[in-house]
Amino acid sequence: MNPEENKHRNMVWCLLRRNISTGQLAGYAVATFVGLAILSVALQFYRDVISLWHDEDKLFGENYIVVSKKVSGFGGLFGSNSSAFSADEISDIARQPWSRKVGAFTAADFNVNASASLGGGRLSTSLFLETIPDEFFDITPREWDYDPQRGGIVPIIIPKDYLALYNFGYAASHGMPQLSESMIGMLPLKLSLSGNGDEATVDARIVGFSSRLNTIAVPEAFLEEANRRFGSKPETAQSPSRLIVKVSDKADPAIRSYLSDKGYEQGGDVSQSGQLTFFLRLTTSVVVAIGVVITLLSFFILVLSIYLLLQKNRRKIHDLMLLGYFPEDISKAYVRMVTVINAGVVCLSAAVVFIAQMLWTSQLELMQASPSSLWLTFTAMVGIMAVLTILSMVIIRRRVCATFRLS
Amino acid sequence: MASRSITSSASGHIGCIALSHALPKVFKGEENTEIIQRSGVWLKDLKFERGHRYLVSAESGTGKSSMCAFIYGTRTDYEGAIRFDNQDIRGYAARDWCSLRRRNIAYLPQDMRLFPELTVLENLQIKNRLTRTYTDARLMELLDMLGIADKASELGAHLSVGQMQRVAIIRALCQPMDFLLLDEPVSHLDQRNNRVVADVIDAVARQNGAAVIATSVGNHLSLDFDMTISL
Repeated sequence: MNPEENKHRNMVWCLLRRNISTGQLAGYAVATFVGLAILSVALQFYRDVISLWHDEDKLFGENYIVVSKKVSGFGGLFGSNSSAFSADEISDIARQPWSRKVGAFTAADFNVNASASLGGGRLSTSLFLETIPDEFFDITPREWDYDPQRGGIVPIIIPKDYLALYNFGYAASHGMPQLSESMIGMLPLKLSLSGNGDEATVDARIVGFSSRLNTIAVPEAFLEEANRRFGSKPETAQSPSRLIVKVSDKADPAIRSYLSDKGYEQGGDVSQSGQLTFFLRLTTSVVVAIGVVITLLSFFILVLSIYLLLQKNRRKIHDLMLLGYFPEDISKAYVRMVTVINAGVVCLSAAVVFIAQMLWTSQLELMQASPSSLWLTFTAMVGIMAVLTILSMVIIRRRVCATFRLS
Repeated sequence: MASRSITSSASGHIGCIALSHALPKVFKGEENTEIIQRSGVWLKDLKFERGHRYLVSAESGTGKSSMCAFIYGTRTDYEGAIRFDNQDIRGYAARDWCSLRRRNIAYLPQDMRLFPELTVLENLQIKNRLTRTYTDARLMELLDMLGIADKASELGAHLSVGQMQRVAIIRALCQPMDFLLLDEPVSHLDQRNNRVVADVIDAVARQNGAAVIATSVGNHLSLDFDMTISL
């Protein structure tokens, strides 16, 4: 823009800016900033925190549930296998409309002792191994292949809670280093297997963490082979005490009522995470709604300010059109003002979201969750403000056109 | 809307403004009164043609400012029809009017409508920069011809009514035009300034091939009119 045009624009703006209330515009800017910041921080927090529960999907799809029977009375103490599922019970579950596929947990029928060398010391513990059919893994880790003929390293998936228990319980109180999933994956383990008068030692490695499978899982091929060799009761596998069920929608209330009628329990932390997700969603919705209400109210402040401003300046606006200025030449000046304010509000709110995320990122990382990208939140912010700006443009344009004839 | 042609000729000029049985709504019910019966404008068929000079002479309150406002599109409270080259002007949108006001019809309102917060020169520039008709030097020359060059930097608010009238006349001339509507252009000017203003108006109208329609309640613009119409 050359200086001549610039001066011209300034001359028009000099007329149109009369009666602009700085207080009203500042009030609008602050209120919109507060509303948008609340809304976008809540949105980003929800996206970041929800990843804590969604991380488990690295190993399994969304719609799996683990079903077990309630252990009650003293039956369990005396070796009764009342918690095992019969073939009829399994096929009844498979017949349910919400059930897509049912798989049984196969338990190890031998003694397992795991040991690892850590920081010069040697840690050793008894373990209990289980497996589920490979087809229940949505994503099969590359290392999950195990060929009993060739042997090699046995891949293991452990519950995520174990790592959390170590990091936030044991390590924190004993001054030990906190470990990430990738560090644990590099730790060489030795499994001592014994039973049926035989014993062997195999190398093992933790290849994944799950909060869906509340057990220590090994490949099906490995466990079948080991049960044959070290197991004393091969029939155990035929009466599983836990089932993994692929369902059409795990939020289906029919599942809950079926499980409750049959006295079954939904295992793992699925139901818990479902509740937490629900409460997180509810809380986020409330906070986002507050943000939306504040933003909308502030928008009404803007609309009222625009009406008042254009009403006060109607004579000047009319006179400019009397000279031949197009309504859009006039509305452009006010639209530019609103756009600048809104752009400033978006930038400030984006900065607030960025800083807020920095504050909670370190806590999330300790929980092995990575914060989500900010782009979706930024896009939402820009989208909301773009809509408000376009609405303002329409209102300004209409009011200016309405001023074309004063009577 | 912007692409719609609102002038009939290929050159973009308006050749004729026709009033057909036009009557301000405020006069409704007074069709048979002497004022309306005698009027050469209301309820008559009247044509203003490009290149001619018209004086619309009237007593106060007979609707001459209304006629200018109807022709300039600032009011629509009339019955009958007003046509620019056979196009009824009621169909024009705000943007069409703004285009006409830049290229075809110049207007001096009776109340001048200067911006009091702008200087005299800025009041001219705010129109002239829209139409790019004159240089700033030429604007100063025109101010000088009308004897108010020394007021160029004065705010509009500080001018006398006579000075305002001269500034508003120059501003009305800052555009190409087919018709120049002047609502009581010299009501606050003395005879000498009247002649100077008339000379400037005549020169600019000739240059544009434009018609001049001037209203007056007594102090007529010193121009050779082709027709005097009694309102």
